[in-house]
Amino acid sequence: MSEECIKELSNKERMNLPYQEMPLHPGIERIKHFYEVPTGYTPEMAKAEAMRCIQCKTPACVAGCPVGIDIPAFIKLIEEGNPADAATKIRESNFLPAICGRVCPQDKQCQAVCIVGKKNDPVGIGCLERYAADYERENATLKMPDIPKSTGKKVAIIGAGPAGMTAAYELRTRGHEVVVFEAFHRAGGVLVYGIPRFRLPLEIIDEDIAFLEKIGVQFVYNMIIGKILTLDDLLESEGFDAVFIGSGAGLPKMLNIPGVNANGVYSANEYLTRIYLMQADKFPKFSTPLYQGKKVAVIGAGNTAMDTLRTAKRLGADTTCYYRRSRDEAPARSEEVEHAEDEYLNWKWLSNPVEFITDEDNFITAIKCEKMELSEPDDSGRRRPVPTGEFFTEDCDTAVLALGCDVNPIIPATDKKVRINKWGVIMVDETTCQTSKEGVFAAGDAITGGSTVILAMGQAKMAAKSIDKYLKGDLPDAPDVPTDPEHWVKEWKFS
Amino acid sequence: MTDRVKGIIESINIDSEEAIGRVLDQLDTLSKLTDGEKTDLAAVLTTIFYHDHAGKPDMTRLANRAEKQIARFGEAALGTLTAELTDADPESAAHLGRAIALNGEKAVAILLDTWNNKRDDDFAIINIVQALSYFRSDAVIKSMPEILVAAKSKNHQVRAAALYALGKLALRLSAEAFDEKLRLKMFDTSFNLLSDSKPLVRKDAARALGKMIKKGILIPCQRKKVFKAFNAILGNDEQHEWDNAFIVRHEACHFLPYCSEAETLADKYRQSYRIVSKRELCDKTFHFAIEAPFIANKLQAGQFIIVRPHGLSERIPLSICGWDADAGTIHIIVMAVGKTSSEINAMNVGDCFTDVVGPLGERSHVKKHEGTCVVIGGGYGTGAIIPTARDLKALGNKVIGIVGARNKDLLLMMDELGEACDEVRPTTNDGSAGKEGLVTDVLKEIMDREKVSHVLAVGPVPMMKAVSEMTRADGIETFVSLNAIMVDGTGMCGACRVSIGGETKFACFHGPDFNGHEVDFDQLVKRQKMFVKEEKKALATLEI
Repeated sequence: MSEECIKELSNKERMNLPYQEMPLHPGIERIKHFYEVPTGYTPEMAKAEAMRCIQCKTPACVAGCPVGIDIPAFIKLIEEGNPADAATKIRESNFLPAICGRVCPQDKQCQAVCIVGKKNDPVGIGCLERYAADYERENATLKMPDIPKSTGKKVAIIGAGPAGMTAAYELRTRGHEVVVFEAFHRAGGVLVYGIPRFRLPLEIIDEDIAFLEKIGVQFVYNMIIGKILTLDDLLESEGFDAVFIGSGAGLPKMLNIPGVNANGVYSANEYLTRIYLMQADKFPKFSTPLYQGKKVAVIGAGNTAMDTLRTAKRLGADTTCYYRRSRDEAPARSEEVEHAEDEYLNWKWLSNPVEFITDEDNFITAIKCEKMELSEPDDSGRRRPVPTGEFFTEDCDTAVLALGCDVNPIIPATDKKVRINKWGVIMVDETTCQTSKEGVFAAGDAITGGSTVILAMGQAKMAAKSIDKYLKGDLPDAPDVPTDPEHWVKEWKFS
Repeated sequence: MTDRVKGIIESINIDSEEAIGRVLDQLDTLSKLTDGEKTDLAAVLTTIFYHDHAGKPDMTRLANRAEKQIARFGEAALGTLTAELTDADPESAAHLGRAIALNGEKAVAILLDTWNNKRDDDFAIINIVQALSYFRSDAVIKSMPEILVAAKSKNHQVRAAALYALGKLALRLSAEAFDEKLRLKMFDTSFNLLSDSKPLVRKDAARALGKMIKKGILIPCQRKKVFKAFNAILGNDEQHEWDNAFIVRHEACHFLPYCSEAETLADKYRQSYRIVSKRELCDKTFHFAIEAPFIANKLQAGQFIIVRPHGLSERIPLSICGWDADAGTIHIIVMAVGKTSSEINAMNVGDCFTDVVGPLGERSHVKKHEGTCVVIGGGYGTGAIIPTARDLKALGNKVIGIVGARNKDLLLMMDELGEACDEVRPTTNDGSAGKEGLVTDVLKEIMDREKVSHVLAVGPVPMMKAVSEMTRADGIETFVSLNAIMVDGTGMCGACRVSIGGETKFACFHGPDFNGHEVDFDQLVKRQKMFVKEEKKALATLEI
């Protein structure tokens, strides 16, 4: 399509263009492998999808993005056939476009408020972001940012997950020396151990880590801060000028029901870590074992539950999802639920597990659930699941609990100056991400108790800005850190 | 053969430098040579290469001129050149190789074809590899996979030739010609051959690595590895075992300055995890000291570490039996029971663990007690009670150690424990040393004799359970150290769930020491058997 042709399109015409669905590996085929499910746009599809954007003067999508990507601008560049510049545009506000294009819940953010979406399908912002990022990676068009002369200030970053990576990038590009301390033997955090390869291939994460290394971010592995070095060690004897905590939400919630400690009952963290970090699917070449049964029960319906269900299916199990609410309340990204539904899984909505039945050797043999029903909407407008008194039992030889995580307690437990709320979430000044300990900042799941990659990135950017100011002496001394132990901010606004 | 070529060929006298010079001058004047003429001339000119140049600098110069002349003949001469190359002596091969190399991409294809046809002829391959090393065009990168295979040849001369080529090309080609994967392979291949049995190969490996560093195609951690290795070759490390071959030391010495660079901030925190000592305690059980200064600096009695001996390993928890903060080492005891522990025991002094994480878990419960403290070790668990015994004693407690084993050969670390305790009481099932019986028999004796205020038991689950049962009635404070199955060791996965007083706890984070009277030992035993089948399967694949 020629340039003139594009210009001639009126907004109305654009809004009526059909949504370009990203091609997928068909369900019957993809459950046999771990390749990425959506295969990506062709240049033609990307242009066609970009044409659907009406370039709003006050774009709602930008306001809907936790890091404020200039969405219309980058879409315009794709429409003009310039994906490399589109990627550069995205990178102005988000340096992990290939990751965010794949794992962001666009249906709850930018795409949810897209004007086109009022009458038609919203513009596929996530798909376009992924397209631009993939183009940049495959054609090596990425230019290295200029790193200013060293400021001589040293910042320690705890955790090499999305928050830590973002903070490292933001601080390094401001000229500070950055060392990332990671507890595991490789970087990536939850992107590696928690998100399956068929949603986020490893090469993409590694590319972004290599990029950070190239701009001078230094990584040290096997370092559990709090244990091997405390926050005080970092700030005093080790001479760091500031510390950023991005230690994530690494303490899985377990059900308090009989049989929860049976053999074959895993937390989703353990199940996914064994497979994606330790590569238990390639056992015995990789020595980490996985007791993978033929019938796997997954409890929960969030993103992690979908990931677990689809992983178990790919490992050849008959897999069932048990969730105490109905499908409409499933907290997972809608695309994940849809993809999961094409993968020959079994669904037991409104089923609340009450017991894991075991044999004499403590191996799980069945799951017992109580049937639930949804109440009338209560004061909060939510339809809560209420027990019916009716029970059912189904055989299974593996159960995986995907019920979310609490915040990893190691750092707050080893430094009492870092204030936490009743649930162990690190409390920060909501405008600066400062903690109650001087020189220590935090972002990501450590301060939300479990959220999304993009939110962690938004907070990490805010924290990095504050750290930069702090290092220059521009930050007011006393942060406003809440003292109420019941205080817990889950919704974040970014200026 | 055309007349003008015939004339030239007849006038060439291989022994006369003057005659050769004249012929080469004459060639410069010829124009529009046909392919046939070129082939014929090439065949004659190559004879110059076979001439012994020793002591005749003019002859060498003429040979170099001839190389360029033949190269100008292009493809028409390549067939002759490669055919001669495969049988040529090393010096002539060098001239032939240079003439070929001047032809760039086409020549690479022909050489690779020839290589393919001469797979079993090591002599030919050495010459081909040498010829490849003379290329200055990035097109030669296509031959890298073959060269890397040649570096693993059984023939050490082929290995050396391949390494020589690796080094040369690393320096000659543009840095962009080497992609990340290739760089990694080049590094791994060369680095592994630093420990080859043949000095020639070690020399060329050192040289190749040196050149890669000079070119700047290695990443900092690889450079650091080379730096360390070169220092070891020169005997500059603590081991003082230099490479006995001068040629190897010479290369290391030459390239060492290129390897060192300003330490980065992060380098300080990178621990080597190197094994500095290893001794056998009893059958299948070894004591290791591992270099990990940051861990050694923070360890406390009762804590543990998680290790991965190599990149494909699982993460396994190991208890600590001691440490030396000054020397920066931590001490572990490993009994070979499964695949990973067997792999560890096959490691030797100088080998490095891929990962060591720690210190993990909480410190043992120690304080000043009114009555006696008894620390009980079963099997290789004996090591783990020593640091706690020492702490208890330092607080002024009377500490008695009980050690149980099947027979006297399996009693471990008795001397070390002896130093940490006021009294040590061994027991063996067969009575071959100490009291015949179980640790509980001795514990009973001590409890009858004096007031016991605190008991710590580390060892097999049935032993810890029996000890806890024995102290329950008297309400004696009893701790046991639980060695549950773990993955991450930080509370992230929950694999190590244990039931303590009806509540689920994570052994890695809340433990490893728990109140023995509250532990659900039956569940622990069963959970430890979760992967029995898989472990057998893994053990079957063990290669040491």
